[in-house]
Amino acid sequence: MKLNYNWLCEWVEIDMSPEDLASLLCNLGIEVEEVELISSDAIFNLDINPNRPDLLCIQGIAREVAVRTKKELKKTIDFSITEEKESYSQPELRITIESKDDCPRYVASVIGNLKVGPSPLFISERLEKCGIRSINNVVDITNYVLLEIGQPLHAFDYEKVGNEIIIRRAKNGETISTLEEEEKRLSDLDLIIANKSKPIAIAGIMGGELSGINESTNTIVLESAFFKPPLIRKTSRRLNLSTESSYRFERTADIGIQKTASLYAVHLLKKYASGKMINSIIDTNPNPPLSRKVPFSWKRASALIGTPINHKVVLEIFHRLGFQEKGNNDDLTIVTPSFRRDIQIEEDLVEEIARFIGYNNITTRFEYQTGTSVYFEGKEILQIKRLMASLGFYEALNIPFIESSWAKNHRDNPIELKNPMWSDKNLLRTTLLPGLISNIERNLNRGINQVSVFEIGRVFNKAKDEEEMIAATMAGNIPQIWYEEERSIDFYDMKGIVETLLKELHISDFDFSNCRDPFYKKERALALIINNQSAGCFGLLAFNPCKEDIYGFEFKLEQLFLASDKSIQLKKMYRFPPVKRDLSIVLNKETPYERIKDLIKSINNLDIQVNLIDVYKDSSIGKDKKSLTIRLELYHPEKTLTEEEIEKDIENIINRLSKVGAHLRK
Amino acid sequence: MKLDDLKKNAKEDINKATLIKELESVRIKYLGRKGSLTNILHSIGDFPKEDRPLIGQTANKLKREITNLLEEKKKYLEESRALEWEDLSLPGRKTSKGSLHPLTILSQEIIDIFMSMGFSVVRGPEIETEYYNFNALNTPEDHPARDLHDTFYLKDGRLLRTHTSPVQIRTLEKHSPPLRIISPGRCYRVDTFDPTHSPTFVQIEGLWVDYDVSMSDLFGTLELFTKKIFGEGIRTEFLPGYFPFTEPSAEVWIQCPFCDGKGCSVCHSGLIEILGAGMVHPNILKNLGYSEFTGFAFGLGVDRIAMIKYNINDIRLFYQNDIQFLNQFNEIKL
Ligand SMILES: [Zn+2]
Repeated sequence: MKLNYNWLCEWVEIDMSPEDLASLLCNLGIEVEEVELISSDAIFNLDINPNRPDLLCIQGIAREVAVRTKKELKKTIDFSITEEKESYSQPELRITIESKDDCPRYVASVIGNLKVGPSPLFISERLEKCGIRSINNVVDITNYVLLEIGQPLHAFDYEKVGNEIIIRRAKNGETISTLEEEEKRLSDLDLIIANKSKPIAIAGIMGGELSGINESTNTIVLESAFFKPPLIRKTSRRLNLSTESSYRFERTADIGIQKTASLYAVHLLKKYASGKMINSIIDTNPNPPLSRKVPFSWKRASALIGTPINHKVVLEIFHRLGFQEKGNNDDLTIVTPSFRRDIQIEEDLVEEIARFIGYNNITTRFEYQTGTSVYFEGKEILQIKRLMASLGFYEALNIPFIESSWAKNHRDNPIELKNPMWSDKNLLRTTLLPGLISNIERNLNRGINQVSVFEIGRVFNKAKDEEEMIAATMAGNIPQIWYEEERSIDFYDMKGIVETLLKELHISDFDFSNCRDPFYKKERALALIINNQSAGCFGLLAFNPCKEDIYGFEFKLEQLFLASDKSIQLKKMYRFPPVKRDLSIVLNKETPYERIKDLIKSINNLDIQVNLIDVYKDSSIGKDKKSLTIRLELYHPEKTLTEEEIEKDIENIINRLSKVGAHLRK
Repeated sequence: MKLDDLKKNAKEDINKATLIKELESVRIKYLGRKGSLTNILHSIGDFPKEDRPLIGQTANKLKREITNLLEEKKKYLEESRALEWEDLSLPGRKTSKGSLHPLTILSQEIIDIFMSMGFSVVRGPEIETEYYNFNALNTPEDHPARDLHDTFYLKDGRLLRTHTSPVQIRTLEKHSPPLRIISPGRCYRVDTFDPTHSPTFVQIEGLWVDYDVSMSDLFGTLELFTKKIFGEGIRTEFLPGYFPFTEPSAEVWIQCPFCDGKGCSVCHSGLIEILGAGMVHPNILKNLGYSEFTGFAFGLGVDRIAMIKYNINDIRLFYQNDIQFLNQFNEIKL
C-alpha cells in the first residue's frame, strides 16, 4: 500500500523525517519496502500484514504512530450534522438483503444534483500519489474516503439502477459486464448487488458497466457495506479480479465505520460535486456489535513475554490503542474496538504490549543444558552424501518437475500437478535420472571433460506417493595426464562406484542380475538384487541427449539402509604370507568371470583370494574365445605351503575349470 | 697399449655408474686388491727394465687419476642423490574429488548448531494434505494468509508442502512435549524462476514446546543462532511480524553483511531479514491437547541464508548444478 506522508501529517503530528518514520513503522511490524522522496512530500510503500486491514488507510497508520509517539489524533471524522435530508423530490430507495450472513451491514444514501467533472487538484494529486487514477470527482471521492479511512464505497447511477437494490447470491449462469468491460459468468457462490432485473455489481469487488458514473449522471446511490470476507475472497480468486475494494473486504472491514464513511463522502460530494442529500441514509444494521471482550491475565502475559511487565506502562498502551480494561487483580477483561478485529485472544494483546514496548527491549535468554540426548533423523543420508562426494561426485539438487515424455516409457504411475509452473513439465519426477542427465548435458556443453553428479531426493508415484532415492550419472573422458593415458568412462567405472557404495554401506548380501529397466541399455546394465527384490539398476543409459555415453544408477535408499549390516564379524587372519600364482586361461567369450571365480573359491580346504589382472581378446586364441589372467593368493592357516602342495592345488583348480571349457593358455 | 685401454675403460665405467655402490665396484675392479691396475703395478717386474720407470710413473699417475675421478663422481652422486633423480614438481596423482551441495553444507551447519542446543532432527513427507500444511497450522481455507503461500496442488487435491511446519504437527501427534525439534527439507511454492525466486527451496523449521517457554527464550535462542552462523559481532534485531500459526509473531533481521549496516541495494536500511518466528498459536496446541504448554517456532530459508553468507546473487545457481559453481563449496568440518 502506498502512503502519502503529508496526508498522514494531517492526522497526527510527526516531528521526524520520513526516514525516521519508516524505521518507527518497521519497529511496529509495518514493513516499509521503500520511501520515495518527492517535492516536499514522501511516498511510503508499505507491506501490510493480512491480519491488519485497519492499517490499509491513513487513519489506521496515524493511530499506530500516535500510540507510539504518545500523541493525540489531530483529525476525526464526525459529520453527523449533515445527515438531515435536504430534498424529497425523488422516490424512496428500497434495500433488500437476502441473507444477513452474507451482508451484515449495508448503508445506502441517495445524492442528487451532482455536477460530474474533474476533481479538485488536491484530491486527484493525492489519489495519484497513492497509485489510483483520477476519473471524475464522484468516483474520486469514493476512492479518497477509502484511502483515508479504509471503507470501500461504490457509487451507482440512480437513474440506471432504479429504486430497488437487492443483495443476493447470483443465479448459476447469470452474467455481468464489469466496469472493465469484461463479461463475467457467475454462480450461486458469488454475492451480487442487483436491481429488479439484473446484477449491477459483484459485491465488494467491482461495479457493472451498466450503472457506472459518467458526465451525464445526476443522482447516485452511494453504497457503504460490510460483506462476509470469505465470500469476497472466493469470488475474487475465482474470477481473478482483485481490486482495492476486494482486498480490504476479504481481510475484514471495520463493521463500525460504514455510516461514518457515507457521511464523510456525502460531505465531500456536497463540497466538490455540488451534491445534495435526497433521502435519509438507509442503514440495515444501525447498531452493529462494536466491541469484543478478551480475557487477560498479567501473570500469563508476563510469562509469555518472559520478563516482568510494568502494569502502568501496559495500561497506557492499551488506552491509547482504544482498549479498555474491566475487572481487577489478575483476571481482566479487555474491551477492544471494532477496527481491531485482529485482537481475538490474550496472545494478541501480548503482541500489542511487546510491539509498543519494543521487541528489542525484551531480555534474551538461552542456557545450554547438559545431558540432553538428541536424535538425528537423516544422519545416514548425510553419510552417503559424503561418501559420494569422496568418490568424485558433485551433489546436485534438481527441480522435481518432469515432462510427460519421461514418464511415458516408465512403469511408474506418475502424479500430475493441477497447476504446473511450466505447462510442459506437469508431472512430479518418477526418477531422479532426467534431472541428472540434464546436469551432465549442461556441464559437458560448458567444456567440462568429466562430469559426475549425484542426487538424493524424493521421487513420486501413485503407488507409493513418495520414495527417497539415490541416483548418480557420469560421463566424459578421464583426460590424459603424465602418469595415465586418456580414456572414456565406461561401465566398469560405474560398477566400481556401485561396489564401493555397497561395501561402505556394509551390504554383503546382494546379487547382480539382468536389467529390464528401459532407462538402461540392457547389454551394458545390471540390476542390483537385495533380498530377492530389485533395489534399482546401473549401467549405460538408453536415453541420452549428448554424444558421450552416460552411465548412471538409481537405487531405493530405504532398501539399501535395510540391507546395511553394521555388525562386524572378524574374519580369520593368517600368520603365514600367501603363495602367489598367476594363471592364464582361455575360455568361451560368454563364460562370465564371476563363474570362474566362484569355481576357484569353492575349493574347500583352501582360502584363495582371486584377482583378475588381465583380460585379452584376440583372433590368435580363437574367434569366440577370451583369455583371462588370474592372480591367486593361497593361504594356509598353519604353515607355508610346499611346492608340491601348491602344484596339487593348482592342478585341482585347472581340473575344475576344465568343466566349463577353460584351459591353460599355451 | 694396455694402460691406455685400461684408462679408457675405467673412465667409461665411472661415467656409467649411477649409484655410489656401483662406483665402489668400479674402484674394486681397477684399484682393489685384485684390481686390474693393482695387478699391473704388482707385475711391474715382468716388464723390461728400461720400461719400468715410465710404466711405473704412468700407472701411478693413472691410479691417482682414477682415484680423483671416483672421488669427483662420488661427490656428484652424493649431491644429486638428494634429488633422487626425480622432478618433484610434476603434479601429484589425483584422487577424484566431488563435493556436497552448498545447501547441504549450510543445512548441516545449521543442524549442528541446533543439535548442540538440544534440538532433534525430524523429517516428513513432501506431499502433504491441506490439513497438515494449513488447517492444523491455524490457516483455514479462505484465510487471507494463504496468499502468502502460492501452493502447488496435485490433481487429487493434495499439495506439495509449502513449508516444513507440517512435520511439527506430525511429530506433536506422536510425541508429547516437552520437546525440541527441527525439521529440514525441500519445500515448494508457485513462483517464477528468476534471480530472486525459485519454485523450490530448502527450509529448516524449529519448534520448542515446554512449560513456560517465552519470547525471551525465542529471542535468546535465535540470537545465539545468528551469532554462530554469521559471527559473534553480528547485530540481531527482532521486529513484529505476522504468521497465522504464531502469536505473537516476529521477524529476525541481521545487520547487512554487504554494507556493515550502512545501507545498500541488497538490504533495507542496513538490515536483512533472515528468519520468521513466533510463539506457537494457542489454537494449535489446544487442538493437539497440549493447552498447558507454550512454545515457539521458527522457520528459515537455507537458500536465502546461503545467498547472504556466500554472497550469491542468483538463487537459480542452486538448482542449475554447474560444476564450476558446485566445486567452490567444500565442507571443512567432517
Ligand atoms: Zn546492505
